[in-house]
Amino acid sequence: MDRRSRTELAARWGAVGLALLAAFAVAALLLLAFSSSFASALGLFFLGPFKNLYYFGNMLNAGVALAIAGLAASIAFATRSFNLGGEGQVYVGAIAAAVVCAATPAAGGAPGALLGIAAGAAAGGALGWLSGFLKRSLGVDELISSFLASSAAVYLGDYLITGPFQDPSSNFQTTAAVPAAFRFAKLLPPSGLSSGSFVALAAVAAAWFLLSRTRFGFELRMTGLNAEFAKYCGIDTGAYAASSMAISGALYGLAGSVLILGSYFKAMKGFSSGLGWSGLAVALIAGRNPLAILPAALFFAYVDAGAKAVMVGADVSSEIVSVVQAAVFFLVTARALDELFLRRRRGGAPEASSVPGGFGGEPTKGDGGPGPGAPGAGGRA
Amino acid sequence: MKDGLDIAALLGDAVGAMAPTVFAALGGLLTELTGMLNIALEGLMLLGAFASFAVTAASHSLLAGIAGGVLASSLAAALFGLVAIKGKANEFIAGLATNLLASGLVVLLSAKLFGTKGVVSFSLPPLPRLEIPALASVPFVGAVLLGHDVLVYASVLSAAAVWLLVAKTPFGMRLRASGSGPGAMAALGLKPEGYRFAAVVASGVGCGLAGASLSLGLSAYVPNISSGRGWIALVAIYLGGRNSFGVLAACFVFAAAESYSNYAQGFLHASSEFILALPYLVALVALVAGTLWKRLRRKPA
Repeated sequence: MDRRSRTELAARWGAVGLALLAAFAVAALLLLAFSSSFASALGLFFLGPFKNLYYFGNMLNAGVALAIAGLAASIAFATRSFNLGGEGQVYVGAIAAAVVCAATPAAGGAPGALLGIAAGAAAGGALGWLSGFLKRSLGVDELISSFLASSAAVYLGDYLITGPFQDPSSNFQTTAAVPAAFRFAKLLPPSGLSSGSFVALAAVAAAWFLLSRTRFGFELRMTGLNAEFAKYCGIDTGAYAASSMAISGALYGLAGSVLILGSYFKAMKGFSSGLGWSGLAVALIAGRNPLAILPAALFFAYVDAGAKAVMVGADVSSEIVSVVQAAVFFLVTARALDELFLRRRRGGAPEASSVPGGFGGEPTKGDGGPGPGAPGAGGRA
Repeated sequence: MKDGLDIAALLGDAVGAMAPTVFAALGGLLTELTGMLNIALEGLMLLGAFASFAVTAASHSLLAGIAGGVLASSLAAALFGLVAIKGKANEFIAGLATNLLASGLVVLLSAKLFGTKGVVSFSLPPLPRLEIPALASVPFVGAVLLGHDVLVYASVLSAAAVWLLVAKTPFGMRLRASGSGPGAMAALGLKPEGYRFAAVVASGVGCGLAGASLSLGLSAYVPNISSGRGWIALVAIYLGGRNSFGVLAACFVFAAAESYSNYAQGFLHASSEFILALPYLVALVALVAGTLWKRLRRKPA
């Protein structure tokens, strides 16, 4: 790594750090505006997650799903593709895992659980693949198609849960419960933290290995870093973009199945996790490095746990999470922040083109015409 | 409704239902012409719907409510524009952030102001409707074109206004130039960023009107009232060939699909989940078909 890129990386971290601080400030402001007792709400938000093992374990458990979802979003980012279908992919993944596990004889043990996980990943992957395929074969914008397909899938999933897969013995709109034999073991009772966390760790390790140690991963990253150059080198960039969408969908599906086998044990109607959007936030903070997914996921798990503590203990609904996430999105993606830091370090105005478009792994649309919102693209053309 | 398919009633429903999508799509068309894909439409519309409902509930004035919705939505759009254009942020992420912000803020405000995250409804003054008794008995015209609320007619007039603005005024020409030739524009001493920002704020105005026609039409605020219309509007911009009358036609087709699925629910006995999924599926199929069509036309056999 040469000096210049190190400076840029430092600037990026500075900007990310600033954004995270600002996110906490936004959270505090929201509590000030929406809670009747600001001090106690603030205490609950920041310290609630550490109050006891139960809250702490639940926070870590939320981080597990967030890490897998973040990985899902970042794999698509790696080829500058946008997978906005996470919500639907998580949902179909969860339903597939729940249904397959409930239908497998309980004597199946660990292979049965693996079957469920595979079914979840396959279901999410199929949905992601659809957008990748449409992009590659017809040039249909994957950003919109993934959102539309996933929204339709959410409603069709509702139909499956309340129709063919409804648990006849339950009064709730839910699938049958997964037999205890397939559930992940609890690691920190009474909290929800389960051995599903090893799935997340394994997924992160596998993604790191795939992206940085294999030819497939190298060519995939090349597709995102400089599609023109990659094409010139004989890399089938369209195929890599399409497969990154499929892998992304499969990881979202995996997140859904881990939620089922580790936390919920059955797919309930409308258990919309918000994971599709949170995954994007995690990926954005983590940037290109899959290993950075873990701390980024823990950050959002902390914000999430704080918001839940406030919801239970004070009178503020947990939707402050999405507003805080929005603040993080705004700030992390604003290139101007980097330039602010760069300017300070270099003591002069930076050339806009020297700012890498990609630490955040943020894709800029190659086919969006003049691409005015893509200042980073100029640096690599 | 009669047993057979009442085409006039169906088309009438479609005309009555298309206003939100038309307003949002016209706003989005302006940003699209400046070269930005505005995925914030959905959130802006949601914010506009909530704000216009809340202001109308407080003031009992429809005009104040519509103004409130437009103001809230434009402010959020300005924030989006500020981050995306001034802050040089990735416009897609910034758009997502705007959607997240709107969906969270609306629930927080609803809980704070109305004490519920669910459906809120008051007896608000209804939007005035266009009734012309002399024409009401004319077959088809009466059922299809008359009796809708004023915002429906306003949305159609807006399509004409946007067309005039874009095609016939210097401002419109520069707006288009900021998308197709920002470099040339800058060389002439004009600032493409300024036109982009104006277009983003205009999309906020459109989405504010879209939201107002949703919640004021119902006299209620329902969670997630925009229910994907912002995304449908994006598809409509694309299918409409970036022309305001094309956009209008595409919005009408989507509205017809929506009212047909409402109608079909009655006799098909399809589960309501299928019906809810239908607009998204129609939009997806239309997107694929539109892309295919454009490809085929570009490459004549």
